[in-house]
Order: sequence, then structure tokens, then C-alpha cells
Amino acid sequence: MSRALEADVHPPYAHPGYKSTHLRAPKQPLVRVAPSPLEAAVPPFPKKFVTEAEADLTTWGTSAPLGEKMVLVGRVLDEDGRPVRRSLIEVWQANASGRYPHPVDDHDAPLDPNFLGKGQVLTDDEGRYRVVTVKPGAYPWKNHAFAWRPAHIHLSLFGNSYAQRLITQMFFPGDPLLAIDPIFNSVPDEAGRRTLIADLDLEHGVEGVALGYRFDIVLRGPRATPMGA
Amino acid sequence: MARPTPSQTVGPFFARELLWSDGGNVLFPGRGERITLTGRVLDGAGAPVVDALFETWQMDGAGKLPAAGEAARPYGYGRVSTGANGGYAIVTVMPGPFTGPGGETYAPQLSVTIFARGLLKAVRTRVFLAPLDAIKDDPLARAIGNPDRLRTLVAARDPNDPTIYRWDVRLQGAGEAVFIDV
Repeated sequence: MSRALEADVHPPYAHPGYKSTHLRAPKQPLVRVAPSPLEAAVPPFPKKFVTEAEADLTTWGTSAPLGEKMVLVGRVLDEDGRPVRRSLIEVWQANASGRYPHPVDDHDAPLDPNFLGKGQVLTDDEGRYRVVTVKPGAYPWKNHAFAWRPAHIHLSLFGNSYAQRLITQMFFPGDPLLAIDPIFNSVPDEAGRRTLIADLDLEHGVEGVALGYRFDIVLRGPRATPMGA
Repeated sequence: MARPTPSQTVGPFFARELLWSDGGNVLFPGRGERITLTGRVLDGAGAPVVDALFETWQMDGAGKLPAAGEAARPYGYGRVSTGANGGYAIVTVMPGPFTGPGGETYAPQLSVTIFARGLLKAVRTRVFLAPLDAIKDDPLARAIGNPDRLRTLVAARDPNDPTIYRWDVRLQGAGEAVFIDV
């Protein structure tokens, strides 16, 4: 069993280019402790918590949403390469115009009555998942002058233990906005940033209907040496 | 060795997507002593953090891990967003103390994870529902040592209503809560 160090993988709390971190980033070092029996366990989602229909974000309305239809596939693995089985993934995103149906989203772009931008899916016994959606649009934000977030899909994972709980964002290959995005660039190294970009995966799309993308996710493993008291 | 996927912020837009209906009412199959954990999340300037996703996970009243059931949500799990004043409330049962694999005793506590705009990765911690002098043998209390730091994780019982436990979380600066790497 092994585990990468937090500091080598995840962004630091304080990232000067991302304004909202300035007053929210903790300054004290984290206290390292062994996971408690709670943190080593997975919250027990009821069997019927996820329905198959929730993996398709394009069937929520009365007709198809606007935008470029896409299929997102991938596998969820732990650091040792083992599949994370039967585990909840929640996805959410802006619509094709770059707008969220959220009261505080004041981006002057149209809402799509046929797109809520919310779904969830369970991984299968090999850790695989598949979601159908439309490609989200980029949108402006107020972090700095001419700031635009690159198109992204949010993913929330529960893993197979509470300690594996992760929220992240998936980006699209070749997006020129990645270079100027402080959130994406908060990841300390190039190899780490690369893992947040999906690969085009045409064969997992639907011929003549939807583009395929692949986004594999790796959740941390248990720590090698408990660092208790 | 595969490289773990880096964390990214939850952002400001998650309320309609992630929140569960009545998610602050924590479900259990059995009964227990009903309590409310409530307080505010504050930033380094003391301003309310109005858009945090606040999640709790806990043992049942007997100190046992909740099992899967047929309820609307997982037993033992709370999920809310902070409101306009940075406030949150979790209505749940008082968790019992429990024992770790090495025989160590954990005081009554909830594991807490907070996500927010401006948090590039979640902050994790544990909140104690017992007074400072009753948690001295808890593994996290021992790891922290300093009582002033430890106090940031102790919820205060309301003198007028003993079912209410109050706990404010300061993300940064004076009184900054202890956050953990598990």
C-alpha cells in the first residue's frame, strides 16, 4: 500500500491567482492523523439511490438540449490500480451557452429549458462509468480582467471510503482558455494538470450522434504508515 | 502507481445540483438522542462563507457504523449548504463513542468535510460533541495537543437548550479551525 503526498498532487489552499482563496485558504498546517473507522468506511448509499436515467443529462427536458452531444466514459481506480466499484459519481455543469440555472449566475447567456446540467451514476464492477450530456460552454467570471473559465464538467466522487471523497473538474483537450485559468493552473505540476484533461475517444461516442471523451479518475489509496499521536 | 486526480474547487454553482431534499436531517434506522449541530462558516476577515457545501458523517447512537438501508439518503450522512449568514444546521442523533482498530477510543464526534468556492481542495476535520476534558484520550485530541487549537473543534452545548450544539468554523486567521489530512 502506498500513497502520494497531498502536497505533490493537489493544489495548495492558497493560490494567489485565484482571488477567492485569499480569505478562505487555511494558513495552519494540516494535522496528520490515521483515518478513523468512520473515515475508513464508505457512507451506505441505498440501492435505489441512483437510477439509470440519471446518467443521461440530455433526456431531462421535453426535447433535446442545445449543444454538441457527447458521451463521457472512464474508469475510477485507486492509486494501486484497483477498480473503485459500485461507487457514486455526481456530475454537474453549465449548459452549452456557459450558463448554470443558478440564482447567482448572472452571466448574460440563455438558460436552456431542456437542460438542468445535473446527473449521477454508479461505477460498475470494473470501476467504469458512462454519462451522456452536451459539451458545456465557457463562461466569464470576475476573478480578473477578461477572465473566462474553460469549458469544464464538475465531478463529485464518494470512492470506497470517506477519506477518498473528492470533488474535481474535467477539462477538454486543446482548449486555449486552459493557459489562463487560475483554477486549472493551481495544480502544482504539468503531469497533474494533464490528468484533468479528458481524451477524445471517438469509439465511445455514438456514430453520427455524439462525440466520445474519456476521463479516468484515480482516488488516493490508504496511507502506508498511520501517523497517529 | 497511478497518480491521484487533483482536487478542484466545487465553485459557487452547486446548490441545485448537489443538495439533497432535507439533507440536513440525518437519517438513522433506529432512534437516538436528537440533537442539532449548528453554527457558521467564516473566512479570514470574519465574513460569512455563504456558499459552502457542508457534509457530515457519523456513527449511530451506539457508536456503530450505519448500514445501508432503503431510506431516501445514506444513513448517518448530512449534506447542506451554508446560507446568507454563513450558517448551517445538521439535525441528527448524538453519536456514541467508538473504538479504532488499535483499541483507541474515539470521543463522540462527526467527521466533517467542507467544500467551497475559493477552496481548491476540501477542508476536512472532526467536531467533538463532548467537553474538552472528556476528549483527552481521543486520537485527534492527542495529535493536536495544544488546548487552544483543540478548542476550535469542540462544539459548545447551548446552556438554554441542551439539544443544541454550537460550532463555528473559521477557515483562516484567529481561531482558525484545525483541519486534518487523513
